[in-house]
Amino acid sequence: MKITTWFKSLFEVWRREFRLVFTDAGVMLFFFALPLVYPLVYTIIYNPEIVTDIPIVVVDHARTSDSRQLARMFDDTQSIKVASYAADLEEARRAMREKKCYGILEIPSDYSKRLGNGDQAVVAFYDEMSLLLRYRAFMSAMTDIQLELGQQITMQRVSTGGLLTSDLAANGMPVKNEAFFLGDPTQGFASFIMPGIVVLILQQSMILGIAMLAGNAAERRRRNRGYDPLAVDASPVVTVLGRTLCYVIIYLPMSYYILTMVPAIFALPHVGSAADYMPFIFAMLVASAMLGQSIAVFITERETSMLVIVFTSVFFLFLSGLTWPRYAMNPFWTAVADCIPATWGVEGIIRILANGADISEVSRYYVNEWILAAIYFVTAVILARFLSPRLAKTTPPAKNA
Amino acid sequence: MIGASLRRGIKTLASRKIYIVMMVIVPLVSAFFFLNLMNEGLPLKVPSGMVDLDRSSMSRSVARNLRATELIEISGEYDNFNDALDKVRGGEIFGFFYIPRDFQKDALAGRTPTLSYYSNMTVFVPGTLSFKGFKTIAVTTMGGVVKTTLVSAGIGDDTAGSLLQPVVVQDHPMGNPWTNYSIYLSNSFIPCTLALLVMLVTAFSICHEIKTGSSVQWVATAGGRMWIALIGKLLPQTAVFSAVGIAMQGILYGFLHFPLNNHPMHIITAMILLVIACQAFAVGVCEIVPNLRLSLSICSLTGILSFSIAAFSFPVPQMYGAVGIFSYIVPIRYYFLIYIDQALNGIPIYFSRYYYAALLGFLLLPAVGLNRLKRHALNPVYVP
Repeated sequence: MKITTWFKSLFEVWRREFRLVFTDAGVMLFFFALPLVYPLVYTIIYNPEIVTDIPIVVVDHARTSDSRQLARMFDDTQSIKVASYAADLEEARRAMREKKCYGILEIPSDYSKRLGNGDQAVVAFYDEMSLLLRYRAFMSAMTDIQLELGQQITMQRVSTGGLLTSDLAANGMPVKNEAFFLGDPTQGFASFIMPGIVVLILQQSMILGIAMLAGNAAERRRRNRGYDPLAVDASPVVTVLGRTLCYVIIYLPMSYYILTMVPAIFALPHVGSAADYMPFIFAMLVASAMLGQSIAVFITERETSMLVIVFTSVFFLFLSGLTWPRYAMNPFWTAVADCIPATWGVEGIIRILANGADISEVSRYYVNEWILAAIYFVTAVILARFLSPRLAKTTPPAKNA
Repeated sequence: MIGASLRRGIKTLASRKIYIVMMVIVPLVSAFFFLNLMNEGLPLKVPSGMVDLDRSSMSRSVARNLRATELIEISGEYDNFNDALDKVRGGEIFGFFYIPRDFQKDALAGRTPTLSYYSNMTVFVPGTLSFKGFKTIAVTTMGGVVKTTLVSAGIGDDTAGSLLQPVVVQDHPMGNPWTNYSIYLSNSFIPCTLALLVMLVTAFSICHEIKTGSSVQWVATAGGRMWIALIGKLLPQTAVFSAVGIAMQGILYGFLHFPLNNHPMHIITAMILLVIACQAFAVGVCEIVPNLRLSLSICSLTGILSFSIAAFSFPVPQMYGAVGIFSYIVPIRYYFLIYIDQALNGIPIYFSRYYYAALLGFLLLPAVGLNRLKRHALNPVYVP
């Protein structure tokens, strides 16, 4: 008997919250428009994935066929395009200042001579350092060229010099090396950032929506002398659980869209199975809903919620370890990051989506997610009961007015 | 009139805690956050693994080299490929180095064994660093073997060296020779956070008046002239935000000695112009939608998207053309370009002239809808 009334009031809270969500355009914006549109917008920004054909200028002091071949090799790489030649470094630098190029290759006048003598030739490359991705592209192109050229010339020298004609000349280097990229094999930028960002979008949009709902309730109470006519009379435990149920039910389809359809549309890394990432994201949604309700107690106005919550997204992005890895954070920030559902969400989801981990392999993140959910459930209930007297006043005031 | 408006503006700022929090505390805390978080500059010592199936003297020397590089830290040795891959999937390591069975024997017998290394690019920075570390070791090992072969064939040590690497490309990273990540990220993310806050606070302070109905009095204080009302409200905020912004720059360039290769006034001017441009942008938004919630939503939306669309990491020329142009509608883009020119590269201010002009150009934005804003301020209707 008692258990049925308990479920009945849970259902009542859930139904009321559902109605509140669907009658408020502002909340709908956060709960539906944001998770629907943001992943698309972000992916479209980053969808070209890799940096190609970055213009560079060549200052060729040697002007020999060898030096021209070197410049051609730079031009042949995926990331570099030789935009033009310059007479001297000063002219090249001017081109860089005018943003006509982002790198300068300077070939010394003795380049061919040194190669011919069997000495080491040194060329200089100047990188413009404003963007990390460009520098990275330059670096990998340079290493490749250096290796390729090294192999070519070495083999040539070895065979023409009549040394060791057997092994080296026939097989090239006696040891090969091969690099493999896991997770994001093309090293594309969208493929790297999107699986993590979407998790943050889920958490932040949900908390924003919850805060706005709480702001509405606070404003209703202010208008009605502490009484919220739309609140359901239920215990804090039931209220928190019923609302969580409402948010999670709305967000599960959203998560499916974000984690399955968006990667499919843009061909982002997606080797995980829904049987792994859906239970995982479920835990994160519950934890986020609990966190949102713990924060919501402090919201007194509909719009301030936005002011206070929006900028935290940037912090949470960094704390999640996506841009700056967790192992390099100091203990303080690691501890702060540990308290945020999206941190574990990002860590787990990127490994499921991009590395094909199953849920047992990311179990430590999964467990942490449930621990956070439990902690924030307790804080939400306690805050609702003790710290917010306004929230407790759900019984109508005596009808004396 | 302007005096009364200014007094009113200052009084509003002092009236609510939220202004102090959003204008002073949050920006300074965010600056501290970014700088403290990325204090090390480079996230070295990437947790990595190693699979050594050879267990020969050569493979042990590879292992020693791996342990000696600062880029990676071998946090685990695994018996086979699958164990290592599992650890990558579980997030314990970001990559591993794989030495095949009979590596030494094959190398000396000329059977060209392959050293392979796996980097998890799911997390970009540690993935890249582990790749760099592995590659260095692989190439050194390769060179070592070749050198041994050559020297044993009777070639001198020096000749062997130049034979191995006939061409060296010497890399000169200009302005940031340490490839410090904090210089990349803090210089863009800290001002962008400030820009976001300027837009939010501006929209909040204007539309909150309309929401509560006090906007009638606000316009009346300015004698009915909208631009005086705006100046009275926003100039005190400009002062506070600029001071906070310059304090941030003081921390970046003065205290932490991030590259500032031109006169400090160039970047300080840019900061003040950034604050004003963001205010003008937000006023423009308020004129289009004089509604607290909607204008805040739009400002949040653009403010958060700025972090991506302003191309701090992914270059504009690589974006789709139709997307890349949006980069130029957010003020922070111009500040970022000025920072690159004036602070990082230290080139003559002549090359940045258009960026300064563009920031000033944002000031024209509010002029367009002044009357519309006034109409709404005088007839405040709160639409939730």
